[in-house]
Amino acid sequence: MANYNVKENQMLNEKHYSFKHKSGLEVFVFPKEMTTSYAIFATRYGAIDNKFKLSTDKDYTVVPDGIAHFLEHKLFECEGGIDAFELFAKTGASANAYTSNTMTGYLFSCTENFYESLEILLDFVTHPYFTEKTVAKEQGIIAQEIKMYEDHPGARLHKELMKALYKKNKVRIDVAGTVESIGEITAEILYKCYNTFYNLNNMTLSICGNVDVSCVEAVCDKVLTTAPEFNVLRDSEDEDEPKAVNQKRVYCELNVSKPIFAIGIKDIDIPADPNERMKKAYALEILDEILFSQSSTFYNELYEENLISQDLSSGCEVTKYFSFNVISSESSDPEAVYSRFVENIENSKKNGIDKEAFELSKRTVYASNIKSFDSTEDIANNFIFNHFDEGDLLDAPKIIESIDIKYLTDLLNEGFKEEYYAMSVVNPIGEKI
Amino acid sequence: MVTITKQIADGVKISYIKTDKFKTNYISINFISPLSSDLVHYNSMLPLVLMRGTAKYPTQMDINKRLQFLYSGDIVARNSNFGEYHIFGFKANMLNDRFADDISITEETVDLLCDMAFNPYLVNGSFDESYTECEKISLIDTIEAEINEKGKYAIKRLMSEMCKNEVFGISKLGEIKDVKAITAKSLYKAYQKALKEYPIEIYFVGDGDFDVIADKFEKALKGIERAPIEIPSATLVSEVDKIRQIEDVENVKQGKLVLGFRTGYKPEENKYHLMQLFNEIYGGAPTAKLFLNVREKMSLCYYCRSIISQRTGIMLVSSGIEAKNKEIAEKAILEQLEMIKNGDITEEEMDSAKKSIRNGYMQIYDSAEAMESWVFFRSLCGISTTPMLECEKIEKTTKQEIQELTSKIKLDTVYFLRGKEKANG
Repeated sequence: MANYNVKENQMLNEKHYSFKHKSGLEVFVFPKEMTTSYAIFATRYGAIDNKFKLSTDKDYTVVPDGIAHFLEHKLFECEGGIDAFELFAKTGASANAYTSNTMTGYLFSCTENFYESLEILLDFVTHPYFTEKTVAKEQGIIAQEIKMYEDHPGARLHKELMKALYKKNKVRIDVAGTVESIGEITAEILYKCYNTFYNLNNMTLSICGNVDVSCVEAVCDKVLTTAPEFNVLRDSEDEDEPKAVNQKRVYCELNVSKPIFAIGIKDIDIPADPNERMKKAYALEILDEILFSQSSTFYNELYEENLISQDLSSGCEVTKYFSFNVISSESSDPEAVYSRFVENIENSKKNGIDKEAFELSKRTVYASNIKSFDSTEDIANNFIFNHFDEGDLLDAPKIIESIDIKYLTDLLNEGFKEEYYAMSVVNPIGEKI
Repeated sequence: MVTITKQIADGVKISYIKTDKFKTNYISINFISPLSSDLVHYNSMLPLVLMRGTAKYPTQMDINKRLQFLYSGDIVARNSNFGEYHIFGFKANMLNDRFADDISITEETVDLLCDMAFNPYLVNGSFDESYTECEKISLIDTIEAEINEKGKYAIKRLMSEMCKNEVFGISKLGEIKDVKAITAKSLYKAYQKALKEYPIEIYFVGDGDFDVIADKFEKALKGIERAPIEIPSATLVSEVDKIRQIEDVENVKQGKLVLGFRTGYKPEENKYHLMQLFNEIYGGAPTAKLFLNVREKMSLCYYCRSIISQRTGIMLVSSGIEAKNKEIAEKAILEQLEMIKNGDITEEEMDSAKKSIRNGYMQIYDSAEAMESWVFFRSLCGISTTPMLECEKIEKTTKQEIQELTSKIKLDTVYFLRGKEKANG
């Protein structure tokens, strides 16, 4: 039996047990008295990993865009034509999977038979089975998934914004790839990617629910075999990513009622220390709350003037690979909103951050973090997101606590400049407006 | 799931689902109106205007600052249709009091909710003109933006065509021309009607002093004259004269197919669990017949799923496909239904569906909002039950019961949102 590490946050009344399984897999278990238990088994492998080599390889392997996502679909099909969903159907668990820029995760939630379902999860993800025939079948399904997203304004807005913000960073690559790129995928390439990245030393199991850590270990013992050392070099072309945005404006046309816009703020000043990255992420959240939330003068003025008529959503992502901040909404005049956005920020710099707004916004971010601990699914997912960026979810409250007005002022002054802003706009087709 | 219910005014009930497993509390205030094209636009506007200002916090900014002070308090408008009912009001989610040392978050949020629902910001005895005008624009934008989400839009179009002669076809947002005609005065009249006539149901899920909270609502309602109406039950259509084919052409890459069915279901028979079990086998799960055949075997789509309305029994099957495959997909969807009608359900399918439903039902205990919806929407059908009790019923269900139920299912309308030739290229 492994020694379990325990980490606890008393204010939250939450803790996790962790251990490194002898197979190489890291395991984290949040015990929680809920009816639903949730597990996610994930690999540090996503859409950005399109060029890589083993340390013993001479050359890099370059693979078609969208392959991590394609693999995610294909792993559900097991040898003998059985689908992993059928196996979960026998235990009653509800299974799914998702792929992002930097990770792929396989998950289930259940209210009974947890360990049986965990066994299925660990087993199917560690036993790939691809043939040319099953690959061809999946190309049809994923082509329809890609087309669905092509018609989806929010998805298009984000995809184009990434291209506007970045010149080289691989966050530009669309997770699903294109109908053309997935057409190039073969069973052989799938095996190559699988064998490279689905190494247990590159993977994590995150669990939350009414679960016992030693029973989890027993399931790992039963299913997993020791993985070879993980020695993969990922080619990163990000090093010479310029500070300024790639393109100030990007446009596309879709069947929408009114223009939809997203203003992105690029940030290449990514802290090397994971806790500093978390601090920056939460600080940006507080800053967004001050500058753009429904409590801000900016939002209320635009709303009164009908420049925006819906919510203005904001969100940031700070990871070791990329960092950006986005605000988006609909407007009949996105350029006017953009000018006001710039003006708003310049005024805030000039006048300084209001102390009362800072306190209220910090309180909001602090409280919404606590609120996120009401679901086993959210806990396990948020944990793995932070963990893959080398941080720990349980540290969030004290990191948020440590943010002061000076830190925020510096962030505002250094991180919010015109050359870092780009805007993506989805316009209605033709001249409807 | 123990629910305590108290009547606090004529036709006003507050119910408490006590649980201490969450870090948050949940409260909803629900006005229940008949779904009617004369009222729906007013009712969908009301929460929007009420959220613009209260007597105590006259602007949106004041309210939102107050919510920040209440530890990320979150109040959103509720607007949903449920068969012949239109439900509107507010849903609030707040941090549990134990995380605050300076205030009682729940009680102060209740104060704000009471003000919002019963003590709005008024100018000369009516709603503020500029708030009303601003929210009209916002609502019209929301209605116009329904086209942005093609899958949902296709479902809405199907419903409006299929239920042309029933109230179920009415959009919960209202029609643009009707929203345009609203004035601050006419809206205020609709508000007074709502306060006087509509049944009001308040739910509190979480951990707190129920009596104190019920008292606050009771006080807020004092002085409001009540004469609650009875909402008549709708008659459900179960026969189909002729299958209708409806097609719209829009600039889209992917075609959206929606099939609408009549199921002969009657809510008073209390057999919704059977419908859910059937739905799971047919198109509600990744092991369902539709997923395994239309997606996995035929590779026609990314999604193909069925849903059944708890109130009307109307079943919809929706899928995103290439326009050229429309007939093939439609045929395959109907073939899978025929199979169930002919009793082609394996023991494994029955067993999987039962487990999956059980899993879904038991997960309800982990979400305050899901518990509220469970109790609230069933109470509108006159049913009182718990997920656990329903699981027992599911367990005993036989294949024959499912087959029997499907014999009444009839295709009514087929809707297709087709892309223009050019966009499909």
